Amino acid sequence: MLSLQHISKYYQTGGNKAYVLNDLSLDIDQGEFVSIMGPSGSGKSTLLNIIGMLDEPTNGYHYFMEQPVHQLKEKQRSALYKQYIGFVFQAYHLIDELTVYENIETPLIYQNIKGAERKALVADMLDRFNIVGKKDLFPAQLSGGQQQLVGIARALIGKPKLLLADEPTGNLNSKQGEEIMELFSKINKEDGVTIIQVTHSEKNAEYGSRIINLLDGRIESTTTL
Amino acid sequence: MLKNYLKTAWRNLWKGRVFNIMNIIGLSVAVACCIMLFLTVYYEFSYDKFHTNLDKIHQLYFTKNGADKVEKSTSMPAPLTPAVKAEYQDIKYITRMGNGGTIVRYGNKQIEESIRFVDQDFLKMFTFPVVKGDNASPLKDLNNVVISEFVATAIFGKTNPVGKSIELNYSGEPRSFVVSAVVKDFPQNSSINFDLLLRFENAPEYQANMKSWDHHDHNVFVQLNDNVKPAVFDARLQSFVKKAFKTTIADMKRDGARPDAQGNVYTLNLLPFAYNHFDTELVGLEGNSVNKTYVMALLAIGIFILVIACINFVNLSVARAFTRAREVGVRKTLGANKWQLLSQFWIETLLVCLFALVLGIVIANFALPGFKATFRSQISMNMLLQPVQLAVITGLFILITIIAGLYPALLMMRYKTVMVLKGTVNTVKPGKVRNILLVTQFSLSSLLIVCTLVTWQQIDYLKSKPLGYSKDEVVSIPVGNSVNGARSLELFRNQLNGEPDVVAVSGAYDNMGSGKDGSTRTSIIGFTYKGHDIHTNIQGVSYDYAKTMGIKLLEGRDFSREFTTDSNAVVVNEKMAAQLGGKNVVGTYLPMDDKKPSLIVGVMKNFHFRSLRSEIEPLTLVLSGYEMNYIFVKVRPQNLSKTFSMIERKWKQTFPNADFQGSWVNENTERQYKAEQRLSTIFISGAIIAIIISCIGLLAISFMIMVQRTKEIGIRKVLGANIAGLVLLLSRDFLKLVLLAALIAFPLAWWLMSKWLQSFVYRIDIEWWIFALAAFIAVGIAFITVSFQSIKAALANPVRSLRSE
Ligand SMILES: Nc1ncnc2c1ncn2[C@@H]1O[C@H](COP(=O)(O)OP(=O)(O)O)[C@@H](O)[C@H]1O
Ligand SMILES: [Mg+2]
Repeated sequence: MLSLQHISKYYQTGGNKAYVLNDLSLDIDQGEFVSIMGPSGSGKSTLLNIIGMLDEPTNGYHYFMEQPVHQLKEKQRSALYKQYIGFVFQAYHLIDELTVYENIETPLIYQNIKGAERKALVADMLDRFNIVGKKDLFPAQLSGGQQQLVGIARALIGKPKLLLADEPTGNLNSKQGEEIMELFSKINKEDGVTIIQVTHSEKNAEYGSRIINLLDGRIESTTTL
Repeated sequence: MLKNYLKTAWRNLWKGRVFNIMNIIGLSVAVACCIMLFLTVYYEFSYDKFHTNLDKIHQLYFTKNGADKVEKSTSMPAPLTPAVKAEYQDIKYITRMGNGGTIVRYGNKQIEESIRFVDQDFLKMFTFPVVKGDNASPLKDLNNVVISEFVATAIFGKTNPVGKSIELNYSGEPRSFVVSAVVKDFPQNSSINFDLLLRFENAPEYQANMKSWDHHDHNVFVQLNDNVKPAVFDARLQSFVKKAFKTTIADMKRDGARPDAQGNVYTLNLLPFAYNHFDTELVGLEGNSVNKTYVMALLAIGIFILVIACINFVNLSVARAFTRAREVGVRKTLGANKWQLLSQFWIETLLVCLFALVLGIVIANFALPGFKATFRSQISMNMLLQPVQLAVITGLFILITIIAGLYPALLMMRYKTVMVLKGTVNTVKPGKVRNILLVTQFSLSSLLIVCTLVTWQQIDYLKSKPLGYSKDEVVSIPVGNSVNGARSLELFRNQLNGEPDVVAVSGAYDNMGSGKDGSTRTSIIGFTYKGHDIHTNIQGVSYDYAKTMGIKLLEGRDFSREFTTDSNAVVVNEKMAAQLGGKNVVGTYLPMDDKKPSLIVGVMKNFHFRSLRSEIEPLTLVLSGYEMNYIFVKVRPQNLSKTFSMIERKWKQTFPNADFQGSWVNENTERQYKAEQRLSTIFISGAIIAIIISCIGLLAISFMIMVQRTKEIGIRKVLGANIAGLVLLLSRDFLKLVLLAALIAFPLAWWLMSKWLQSFVYRIDIEWWIFALAAFIAVGIAFITVSFQSIKAALANPVRSLRSE
């Protein structure tokens, strides 16, 4: 579903090019659950952002769902993104002014889905994540784990094919982290959503089907479980 | 989608309510000011626009290019109108308009009304439509009278006045007139107003005046044929003037008149009636002309306030928006496109503006009575409902929401989503734009501060400058129409005789300053003296005038009852004496009237008998021939208010039917500068509002910056910085900007106020300390505003701010 070929990303610092990603190639198939690991600063987030089209590589070829992303215009790219990709963040990034319900609903609004349908979809999602009772609370009233749950629900509401998660458990305790990982597995298996997550935890990484180790912007090793 | 936007907008506004309330307060005050100011400006510009022929109507005036000055006068001699009309085909309509007052009697009802003596064309030129009666030629007969609806109700109540006879007494003997028509009341924004219209032929002394080309006492309006250009007609008029005023022109040339570009010394010119309301140069125009500068000052201040408030709005929105950069980033990752984000922000701005607009209208409603009284404005809130106003308001409203709402949103969208989400866009300083905006705000505020200070100083100077007579202990009483001046003066003098607190009583033709009756009279005569032209102001006075007014005599004596010949004597001022040759004028004769020259018995020291806007002119006091319109009472300086009440009481005893409109002369002289007072009130109100709004913005921005610098402040405190040092450090950047703003404003302020001061003959110099004071005020106020936040930030516990990082 996704293919990166000879992707490089560097920042110009002074006269030098500081490479964050260095000639990196990577293919990911539909239905995979990939964990990306590596020391801080090795380029994990950058890689994930490039895959999620929030960031652009300096050079290289990027195909997603058979489309050459590197050639697409901004508008087409964001349409592609809207349709297929969901994002989960370490810091949850829920919108503080919106309730749980409204946070989950927002992506649907941007996809111009009608009110009645939105209602049904959000209700389903709340049900599935067992947070119906919390739907009118604001993010500040939730624990970290609950917030991340909402974050995932929000990422999944648009029925994405690809879920990107940057250290989704980074701010959670291990028990909460485990719950999230269980959830990911379930989503991956039952709904067939492809998942790419960045994590620092060996244990969490092992929920995936493949672990990619990054070092200085290159793939150092790949382990298939 | 809209519902969702509104909901989010509302929650966001609520979350940032401190900012938003400041924003709304600033904006609504500005809206209120602008509504009132712009309506006033609109109203002034709407003057006389209801006349359908406005563009074709002109008023005649003479220009006299004298040896040392150019004089313009709108007063015309009676025979001029028929002569001009006969001579020129270009004229479609022409009318004279003379003034008078009368007692109207109908049945047993009796009221006072004013009269306009006009020609038949008057109602054809001006748009005062007939609502009842003869529509075709309402002033056909000499005994016709046309009345306004207002007067019709006052005299006749509900009965139809058309065809009814009323008795008018305006010349000493009652005459009967028939009401031929009732015309619609003139609107408020009409320069010409009237109660009764009579044919000009009914004016007092009409027959005599028709024989004289020297007696100028009324205005003349012409309407040219549609194809005639006023400038062309103006040029063509001069051949007539040369014929009709041969002797005047010869006399002027003899006295060294300076011809204009066309070689004419005496010309008849056209003033477009459309300019009437703004022409303050020509004396004797109808209505209350206003100075265009004054109206423009209102407009400028309105714009200033609006600009300042909008800048605030932008600055506050930007500041607020940066705290929401993350939200924008998140929304982008959730699939929001640019337009969706822009409309979200726009809706929030729209809500704030809507609040401000509604609140502004409410404030304007409350402030309107005070505003109208202070600025003599005639506006009402209903004027807002006219299509032009509605369109302007809507247009401005949308424009402001777009600028203030979209600019911050666009700024935010420039940031890369990734960076925002990582938090590396450290709510970046929107430094340059914000600083420019702040400087603009405070420049405008400083400008207004300087204007305020200069007008204050000038007014104070005008009020405190010695005028050459005593104004503090003299009461001036307008006699009014209902009693005879000379007789009532004698009566009242006898009444006050023996009162211990009264020093002297006298009377005069013209008032000192501007009394409660609001009228001033000017009488200027010209005659030939030793072969050259002399002009002098004439003031008719009674005995003891110099003593009552505290005027110093330099030579000779005041009028005295002991000299019966004094009825034909004059007392002149220094300026007049100088004109006559300077020395030893006492004892010589003044040939004001060829047959009966007047003996000069005294020379007075110059005094300012007019306002300080003009130089002291030659003045001649005479005992007889002039109505005593004002009674002056000089009192002892003790118990001023008690004496005043005593005078009022005595007046009411003596003249039970006449109003008492007495006032201290110093009040009268101050009243002369009402226009200046009003201008200074405008400046000070404008300055205060501008500063308050600017400070609201400054407060909010300093708050933002303090939040950004919390960590830095914490570190500095840990390193041992003291509070005062920190406050200074935090305030310094702002103060520099305000100082810069003041420096930018000063040259403009200096230029503007110098221009304004040039309209005064007696004026202050603008001194450097005014600018120093203005800068001090601006910086001082800014410092106080900023220090609210900087002191708070400096006092905060450093450990907390550092830990939260
Ligand atoms: N805007 C930037 N300019 C320069 N260097 C950057 C910028 N953004 C990220 N980097 C660098 O890129 C490197 C990789 O960052 P990141 O992908 O966030 O690493 P990771 O997520 O693996 O910790 C880091 O060393 C960081 O300093
Ligand atoms: Mg990272």
